[in-house]
Amino acid sequence: MDLTLPVILGTALFGVGVGLLSALFGIGGGIVMVPFMVLLLERSPHLAEGTSLLVIIPTAIAGVIAHHKRGYVSFSLGAKLGAGGVVGAVLGARLALSLAEDTLETYFALFLVVMGIRIIVEGVKMVRSDDQAIGAPD
Amino acid sequence: MALDRSTIAIVASGFVAGVMSGLLGVGGGVVMVPLLVFVARQTQHQAHATSLAAVVLMGAAGAATFAAEGEVDVGLALVLAAGSLVGAPMGARLMARTAEGPLKIAFGVLMLVVAGLMVWI
Repeated sequence: MDLTLPVILGTALFGVGVGLLSALFGIGGGIVMVPFMVLLLERSPHLAEGTSLLVIIPTAIAGVIAHHKRGYVSFSLGAKLGAGGVVGAVLGARLALSLAEDTLETYFALFLVVMGIRIIVEGVKMVRSDDQAIGAPD
Repeated sequence: MALDRSTIAIVASGFVAGVMSGLLGVGGGVVMVPLLVFVARQTQHQAHATSLAAVVLMGAAGAATFAAEGEVDVGLALVLAAGSLVGAPMGARLMARTAEGPLKIAFGVLMLVVAGLMVWI
Protein backbone atom coordinates (compact mmCIF):
# COMPACT_ATOMS: atom_id res chain seq x y z
CA MET A 1 0.00 0.00 0.00
CA ASP A 2 1.38 3.40 -0.97
CA LEU A 3 1.89 6.13 1.61
CA THR A 4 -1.12 8.33 0.71
CA LEU A 5 -2.18 10.97 3.24
CA PRO A 6 -4.87 8.81 4.97
CA VAL A 7 -2.38 5.91 5.20
CA ILE A 8 0.29 8.22 6.64
CA LEU A 9 -2.12 9.59 9.25
CA GLY A 10 -3.38 6.11 10.19
CA THR A 11 0.17 4.75 10.42
CA ALA A 12 1.32 7.65 12.61
CA LEU A 13 -1.69 7.08 14.88
CA PHE A 14 -0.80 3.40 15.10
CA GLY A 15 2.74 4.55 15.98
CA VAL A 16 1.37 6.43 19.01
CA GLY A 17 -0.05 3.12 20.28
CA VAL A 18 3.27 1.37 19.60
CA GLY A 19 5.17 3.98 21.61
CA LEU A 20 2.69 3.70 24.49
CA LEU A 21 2.93 -0.11 24.61
CA SER A 22 6.73 0.02 24.29
CA ALA A 23 7.32 2.34 27.25
CA LEU A 24 4.54 0.81 29.36
CA PHE A 25 5.85 -2.76 29.05
CA GLY A 26 9.57 -2.33 28.29
CA ILE A 27 9.28 -4.04 24.91
CA GLY A 28 10.32 -2.96 21.41
CA GLY A 29 6.87 -3.22 19.88
CA GLY A 30 7.85 -5.43 16.93
CA ILE A 31 5.14 -7.89 17.94
CA VAL A 32 2.48 -5.35 16.87
CA MET A 33 4.41 -3.44 14.17
CA VAL A 34 5.45 -6.42 12.03
CA PRO A 35 1.89 -7.86 11.60
CA PHE A 36 0.58 -4.32 10.97
CA MET A 37 3.09 -3.71 8.16
CA VAL A 38 2.67 -7.17 6.62
CA LEU A 39 -1.12 -7.51 6.84
CA LEU A 40 -2.29 -3.90 6.37
CA LEU A 41 0.55 -2.13 4.54
CA GLU A 42 1.44 -5.19 2.42
CA ARG A 43 5.19 -5.08 3.07
CA SER A 44 7.30 -8.27 2.86
CA PRO A 45 8.00 -9.91 6.26
CA HIS A 46 11.73 -9.14 6.01
CA LEU A 47 11.15 -5.48 5.12
CA ALA A 48 8.61 -5.23 7.95
CA GLU A 49 11.05 -6.74 10.46
CA GLY A 50 13.91 -4.44 9.39
CA THR A 51 11.67 -1.35 9.44
CA SER A 52 10.25 -2.36 12.84
CA LEU A 53 13.78 -2.64 14.30
CA LEU A 54 14.63 0.81 12.91
CA VAL A 55 11.52 2.34 14.57
CA ILE A 56 12.38 0.61 17.86
CA ILE A 57 15.64 2.62 18.26
CA PRO A 58 14.14 6.15 18.70
CA THR A 59 11.01 4.75 20.41
CA ALA A 60 12.98 2.90 23.09
CA ILE A 61 15.35 5.87 23.57
CA ALA A 62 12.33 8.15 24.20
CA GLY A 63 10.92 5.59 26.67
CA VAL A 64 14.25 5.25 28.49
CA ILE A 65 14.55 9.04 28.84
CA ALA A 66 11.05 9.26 30.33
CA HIS A 67 11.67 6.32 32.70
CA HIS A 68 15.07 7.68 33.71
CA LYS A 69 13.47 10.96 34.84
CA ARG A 70 11.58 8.89 37.42
CA GLY A 71 14.67 6.89 38.41
CA TYR A 72 13.53 3.51 37.11
CA VAL A 73 16.41 2.71 34.70
CA SER A 74 19.41 0.63 35.78
CA PHE A 75 21.93 1.49 33.06
CA SER A 76 24.54 -0.98 34.33
CA LEU A 77 22.07 -3.90 34.16
CA GLY A 78 20.76 -2.64 30.80
CA ALA A 79 24.29 -2.51 29.34
CA LYS A 80 25.05 -6.07 30.53
CA LEU A 81 21.75 -7.35 29.11
CA GLY A 82 22.33 -5.48 25.86
CA ALA A 83 25.89 -6.80 25.51
CA GLY A 84 24.67 -10.40 25.74
CA GLY A 85 21.64 -9.49 23.62
CA VAL A 86 23.59 -8.07 20.69
CA VAL A 87 25.77 -11.21 20.43
CA GLY A 88 22.70 -13.43 20.86
CA ALA A 89 20.69 -11.55 18.22
CA VAL A 90 23.36 -12.03 15.55
CA LEU A 91 23.75 -15.73 16.43
CA GLY A 92 19.97 -16.19 16.57
CA ALA A 93 19.51 -14.74 13.08
CA ARG A 94 22.06 -17.25 11.73
CA LEU A 95 20.49 -20.14 13.65
CA ALA A 96 17.08 -19.24 12.26
CA LEU A 97 18.23 -20.32 8.81
CA SER A 98 19.23 -23.81 9.94
CA LEU A 99 16.59 -24.88 12.48
CA ALA A 100 12.96 -25.92 12.34
CA GLU A 101 11.01 -22.80 13.28
CA ASP A 102 7.87 -24.60 14.50
CA THR A 103 9.74 -26.46 17.25
CA LEU A 104 11.40 -23.28 18.50
CA GLU A 105 8.15 -21.35 18.50
CA THR A 106 6.51 -24.05 20.63
CA TYR A 107 9.30 -23.91 23.25
CA PHE A 108 9.24 -20.11 23.23
CA ALA A 109 5.45 -20.05 23.69
CA LEU A 110 5.82 -22.52 26.58
CA PHE A 111 8.41 -20.23 28.24
CA LEU A 112 6.04 -17.26 27.88
CA VAL A 113 3.08 -19.16 29.35
CA VAL A 114 5.04 -20.42 32.40
CA MET A 115 6.68 -17.04 33.11
CA GLY A 116 3.47 -15.13 32.36
CA ILE A 117 1.49 -17.21 34.87
CA ARG A 118 4.23 -16.79 37.51
CA ILE A 119 4.15 -12.99 37.10
CA ILE A 120 0.33 -12.90 37.19
CA VAL A 121 0.34 -14.98 40.41
CA GLU A 122 2.83 -12.55 42.02
CA GLY A 123 0.71 -9.61 40.88
CA VAL A 124 -2.52 -11.09 42.24
CA LYS A 125 -0.82 -11.78 45.61
CA MET A 126 0.32 -8.14 45.74
CA VAL A 127 -3.13 -6.80 44.92
CA ARG A 128 -4.70 -9.07 47.57
CA SER A 129 -2.23 -8.06 50.29
CA ASP A 130 -3.06 -4.45 49.44
CA ASP A 131 0.59 -3.82 48.63
CA GLN A 132 -0.17 -1.03 46.18
CA ALA A 133 3.14 0.83 46.52
CA ILE A 134 4.63 1.92 43.22
CA GLY A 135 7.86 -0.05 42.66
CA ALA A 136 10.34 2.65 43.53
CA PRO A 137 14.04 2.08 42.96
CA ASP A 138 16.18 0.90 45.87
CA MET B 1 32.95 -4.24 36.26
CA ALA B 2 33.33 -7.26 38.51
CA LEU B 3 32.69 -10.54 36.76
CA ASP B 4 30.63 -12.01 39.58
CA ARG B 5 27.87 -14.59 39.33
CA SER B 6 25.05 -12.07 38.96
CA THR B 7 26.86 -10.28 36.10
CA ILE B 8 27.30 -13.58 34.27
CA ALA B 9 23.61 -14.43 34.87
CA ILE B 10 22.48 -11.07 33.44
CA VAL B 11 24.75 -11.21 30.36
CA ALA B 12 23.52 -14.79 29.79
CA SER B 13 19.91 -13.59 30.15
CA GLY B 14 20.55 -10.92 27.52
CA PHE B 15 22.13 -13.53 25.27
CA VAL B 16 19.05 -15.77 25.53
CA ALA B 17 16.76 -12.79 24.80
CA GLY B 18 18.96 -11.85 21.84
CA VAL B 19 18.93 -15.36 20.37
CA MET B 20 15.13 -15.46 20.70
CA SER B 21 14.69 -12.07 19.03
CA GLY B 22 17.11 -12.95 16.23
CA LEU B 23 15.46 -16.32 15.69
CA LEU B 24 11.83 -15.34 15.85
CA GLY B 25 11.78 -11.60 15.24
CA VAL B 26 10.17 -10.99 18.63
CA GLY B 27 11.15 -11.63 22.20
CA GLY B 28 13.54 -8.93 23.31
CA GLY B 29 11.39 -7.35 25.99
CA VAL B 30 9.01 -10.21 26.75
CA VAL B 31 12.05 -12.39 27.57
CA MET B 32 14.16 -9.76 29.39
CA VAL B 33 11.46 -8.43 31.73
CA PRO B 34 10.72 -11.79 33.46
CA LEU B 35 14.47 -12.51 33.67
CA LEU B 36 15.09 -9.11 35.30
CA VAL B 37 12.25 -9.81 37.75
CA PHE B 38 13.22 -13.38 38.64
CA VAL B 39 17.03 -13.36 38.11
CA ALA B 40 18.00 -9.76 38.98
CA ARG B 41 15.10 -9.34 41.51
CA GLN B 42 14.15 -5.94 40.07
CA THR B 43 10.70 -4.49 40.74
CA GLN B 44 8.27 -4.77 37.80
CA HIS B 45 8.69 -1.04 37.13
CA GLN B 46 12.51 -1.20 37.13
CA ALA B 47 12.45 -4.30 34.91
CA HIS B 48 10.32 -2.60 32.22
CA ALA B 49 12.59 0.49 32.21
CA THR B 50 15.85 -1.49 32.20
CA SER B 51 14.61 -3.87 29.51
CA LEU B 52 13.90 -0.86 27.29
CA ALA B 53 17.52 0.33 27.66
CA ALA B 54 18.75 -3.07 26.41
CA VAL B 55 16.13 -2.99 23.63
CA VAL B 56 17.84 0.16 22.24
CA LEU B 57 21.12 -1.77 21.78
CA MET B 58 19.47 -4.90 20.36
CA GLY B 59 17.27 -2.86 18.02
CA ALA B 60 20.33 -1.03 16.68
CA ALA B 61 22.20 -4.30 16.05
CA GLY B 62 19.16 -5.83 14.37
CA ALA B 63 18.35 -2.76 12.27
CA ALA B 64 21.96 -2.59 11.04
CA THR B 65 21.77 -6.25 9.97
CA PHE B 66 18.55 -5.72 8.00
CA ALA B 67 19.72 -2.36 6.57
CA ALA B 68 22.84 -4.06 5.18
CA GLU B 69 20.47 -6.28 3.16
CA GLY B 70 18.42 -3.25 2.07
CA GLU B 71 15.44 -4.52 4.09
CA VAL B 72 14.33 -1.23 5.67
CA ASP B 73 11.67 1.27 4.55
CA VAL B 74 13.04 4.54 5.97
CA GLY B 75 9.99 6.62 4.96
CA LEU B 76 7.59 4.25 6.66
CA ALA B 77 9.87 4.10 9.72
CA LEU B 78 9.79 7.92 9.99
CA VAL B 79 5.96 7.96 9.94
CA LEU B 80 5.74 5.24 12.63
CA ALA B 81 8.44 6.94 14.75
CA ALA B 82 6.61 10.30 14.51
CA GLY B 83 3.72 8.61 16.32
CA SER B 84 5.74 6.44 18.67
CA LEU B 85 7.77 9.40 19.95
CA VAL B 86 4.45 10.91 21.10
CA GLY B 87 3.24 7.62 22.60
CA ALA B 88 6.41 6.68 24.51
CA PRO B 89 6.24 9.44 27.17
CA MET B 90 2.52 8.62 27.58
CA GLY B 91 3.34 4.95 28.18
CA ALA B 92 6.08 5.86 30.66
CA ARG B 93 3.68 8.09 32.61
CA LEU B 94 1.01 5.36 32.60
CA MET B 95 3.55 2.83 33.95
CA ALA B 96 4.67 5.17 36.74
CA ARG B 97 1.03 5.65 37.78
CA THR B 98 0.25 1.94 37.83
CA ALA B 99 0.77 0.00 41.07
CA GLU B 100 3.12 -3.00 41.11
CA GLY B 101 0.41 -5.70 41.36
CA PRO B 102 -1.76 -4.58 38.43
CA LEU B 103 1.39 -3.91 36.35
CA LYS B 104 2.54 -7.51 36.93
CA ILE B 105 -0.89 -8.86 35.95
CA ALA B 106 -0.99 -6.71 32.79
CA PHE B 107 2.51 -7.83 31.75
CA GLY B 108 1.67 -11.49 32.44
CA VAL B 109 -1.43 -11.19 30.25
CA LEU B 110 0.73 -9.60 27.50
CA MET B 111 3.08 -12.62 27.69
CA LEU B 112 0.15 -15.03 27.31
CA VAL B 113 -1.18 -13.03 24.33
CA VAL B 114 2.24 -13.11 22.64
CA ALA B 115 2.45 -16.88 23.31
CA GLY B 116 -0.99 -17.29 21.75
CA LEU B 117 0.01 -15.27 18.68
CA MET B 118 3.19 -17.34 18.23
CA VAL B 119 1.29 -20.63 18.23
CA TRP B 120 -1.61 -19.32 16.18
CA ILE B 121 0.25 -17.46 13.39
